[in-house]
Amino acid sequence: MCANPLAYAFSCFFVLIAHGAMLLNVYINGNYSDVSDVAFLAAAVISLDLIYFIISLFFRQKSYTVDLLLILILNMSVIFQSCFGGVSLSVKHYITCITALAACKAGYLICRNYKWLQDKKLYAYVGICILMLVILTLTGSRSMWIELGSITIQPSEFIKPLFVIACATSVIQQQKKQKVLIFNVVYENLALFGLTAAICLLQWWCRDLGSLPTFIGIYSCGFMLRICYPKAKFSKKKLIAAGILLIIIALIGIKFAPEYVQQRLHADIWSDQNGEGYQQSQALIAIANGGWFGVGPGKGELCNVFAYESDIVFATICEEWGLLYALMMIFVILILVALPLINPPRSYFHGTLSAGVCAAFTVQMALNIFGSCNLIPFTGVTIPFISAGGSSLMVSGFMAGMIIAGQSPAFPISEKPRNQNTASARRASI
Amino acid sequence: MKSIRRCQHIISLFAVLFIIGMAVLVFKIQRESAFYMMNSDNHELGIVYDRNGDVLFDGSDTNAYPDNYFIDVGNLIGDDKGQMTNTLVAQNIDKLNNYSFSSGLISEGGKAAIYTTLDHEANRAVYNAYGSQKGCAVAYNYKTGEILICTSLPSIDVTNGYANIDSFESGTLISKTLYGTVPGSTQKVSTVIAALEIMGADKLYSKAFTCSGKYTNKTGDIIDCHNVYGHGTQNIQQAVENSCNPFFAQLIEDSDMPLNKVKNVYEKLGYSLNGADPTYIDIDGIQCETASTTLNDPYEFQTQWGCIGQGDTLVSPIQLMMWQSAIANENGKMTMPHLINYITDVNGKVVQTDETTYSKQLFSQDSASAIKQILLTNGADQYTYSISGYTVGVKSGTAQVDDNNTENSLLVGFVDDQNFPIAFCILIEDKSSSLVTTEQITKIMLDSLYQ
Repeated sequence: MCANPLAYAFSCFFVLIAHGAMLLNVYINGNYSDVSDVAFLAAAVISLDLIYFIISLFFRQKSYTVDLLLILILNMSVIFQSCFGGVSLSVKHYITCITALAACKAGYLICRNYKWLQDKKLYAYVGICILMLVILTLTGSRSMWIELGSITIQPSEFIKPLFVIACATSVIQQQKKQKVLIFNVVYENLALFGLTAAICLLQWWCRDLGSLPTFIGIYSCGFMLRICYPKAKFSKKKLIAAGILLIIIALIGIKFAPEYVQQRLHADIWSDQNGEGYQQSQALIAIANGGWFGVGPGKGELCNVFAYESDIVFATICEEWGLLYALMMIFVILILVALPLINPPRSYFHGTLSAGVCAAFTVQMALNIFGSCNLIPFTGVTIPFISAGGSSLMVSGFMAGMIIAGQSPAFPISEKPRNQNTASARRASI
Repeated sequence: MKSIRRCQHIISLFAVLFIIGMAVLVFKIQRESAFYMMNSDNHELGIVYDRNGDVLFDGSDTNAYPDNYFIDVGNLIGDDKGQMTNTLVAQNIDKLNNYSFSSGLISEGGKAAIYTTLDHEANRAVYNAYGSQKGCAVAYNYKTGEILICTSLPSIDVTNGYANIDSFESGTLISKTLYGTVPGSTQKVSTVIAALEIMGADKLYSKAFTCSGKYTNKTGDIIDCHNVYGHGTQNIQQAVENSCNPFFAQLIEDSDMPLNKVKNVYEKLGYSLNGADPTYIDIDGIQCETASTTLNDPYEFQTQWGCIGQGDTLVSPIQLMMWQSAIANENGKMTMPHLINYITDVNGKVVQTDETTYSKQLFSQDSASAIKQILLTNGADQYTYSISGYTVGVKSGTAQVDDNNTENSLLVGFVDDQNFPIAFCILIEDKSSSLVTTEQITKIMLDSLYQ
């Protein structure tokens, strides 16, 4: 149970106030024909809040901050998605948000014990390989979706948490260097690099250019933390050299990228406003139309544009709720992913895990927001927790669970009795 | 803890990079939101005023004005319908929109406006002076660069829309002041400037060439003079006043006028030579074509004909007028013209004010003084009565167009008065059918402005 019930209750109250204010805005400024639509939405949101507050208490955690931030952002997302084009509860999104909450708890339970996860890391590799095979055989070279009736699944999304786990579990292997000729080799490093290369090639083949930077971000993060591992003895010079090498590779990649990539890199959306630049130009017009405070929930026009609820969701929210509110929403997600700065992870493994999640979330948010606003090429990825999409939401929830695991880890119980000081010292060095 | 701090550093790095990106995005949106809105279907355009507060374009209610109220500025000020793109409204439509990121789109009470330098009343007077003739007229203050008159005929009354666009006469939807036209003998001003720059005033005045009505150049081609009896032997002043073609053909052939130096001066003046890519003069977003001609061989007909102002030589009336400012100011620098005095945003706050700017040095002050004297003498000798009441320096021109089937009449010049510093260019198309002359139009223009 919660160690500080008063603080927990106060935080829950804050979440309810935030959602209540949003719902009040929907009631006053929203576009609805029947007030029961607003009431139904309010009931769904508030009840999910309350149920999650209670359920969370059954999980013994040192901190519930991520949980509260997660329910705050997810129900914000439910309200946003339910208002696009007119107020009406988006049942599908509501259900996927519940699934995301469940996935979060699953993520926490799986990742809280680093020793257990370390032993099971082979499953992460196997899982990634299976998912890659699924992509290779079922999605085709120009797609990233598997369609099962009315449900569509994006398998590449599920690789992300497994990949973060693979990166984090490799940390310990730094202590197991093998001498091969004149090189000190860590086999798992090579395996992980090979896996990264395979994932990148697969993403390229699928033309899922949005996920590619996310995987590179996760790997870069894991790589940096591995080479900075205390026993790795990686000098700063080598670190800078690796960074420069990465930039050179990226520049060469851009230079010799295929034509369709070049088109995206140099697209002028305003000269092709009804063609390639349609979504981005409409998104920017919508943001301008919304101004600081928006035109009102459900009163936007961007909901008539394809992918308004996923790829260009930031602009849709800006139009209806205003740029100020959209920035606040992004700020909440940023606090969630940057929480390990305030409440440090309890082990190096969990730190790596949190950093990987942070990399994945920030890269995805950057790709989505900056892409839809024409700061960078438009790739069509989702904003974690906000964009519609079951795969994305489930995976985002699971990865939020990884952050919770870092805040409230479960350490293995040693079979041999040790004195308290030794245990504490070990805990800090892991 | 040190190792965990490394994780935190990585997290900080990603978070900071993302926050920087978001800051750039917010700044970009703030800065460009008006442009975004202009690309949408929702506009609430404000008003364009002349220098006296008279309306030149009203984005909110065009039906409140009498028929043809805007016709004298129709193809210069334009509208938001998209039929005319090189107009003040089309090029500044984002500034005219009653929109700001903070206030949103305001349908009533918005104060977005463009206050121009034009004098609508004088502009209308000049427009009316053309009667049924076609052509264009432009005048500006050569001290400040404020365009006071800019009209082009035929024109369009934007309030009537484009339902009959198929029946519009050629040139209705463009301001001819902005586009190249055959300059006729007004081109000789450039040639005189080139001669002054290359050999100096004393040497140029010492040159004398004979005109017998036509001149056979060194490659055997004939340059006709408009005076079939010839002008006899003349110096540069007389040649300018007589607008003598054989004199200028011989001047181009003269060994003291090496063609490479002529080319240099022409390029400084802004000519695109021998098919080079054209450039544009920006006048508050409106693009004005720069001059072009062919200078290949000083002994060839085409080059001589080009320096006389015929053949494939093209100069926009605005550029002809701008050169007059460099002469009138005696500094060899053009005063850059502008149409916008200031712009107010949706809240009535002044957000942009145009200031006087000058071109780089086109020619020396000595050359400017010398050519100014030549033009003033020409004005005093030939236009004292037709443009009475003003001390003007002028040069006329007759341009052969439509395969020499039609002649256009031009007059460029300036008023030599520090209190009334006006430079101008008048063009009347098909002068043989015209009931008015360029001098008459000039007189009406100056009188209207002087009031």
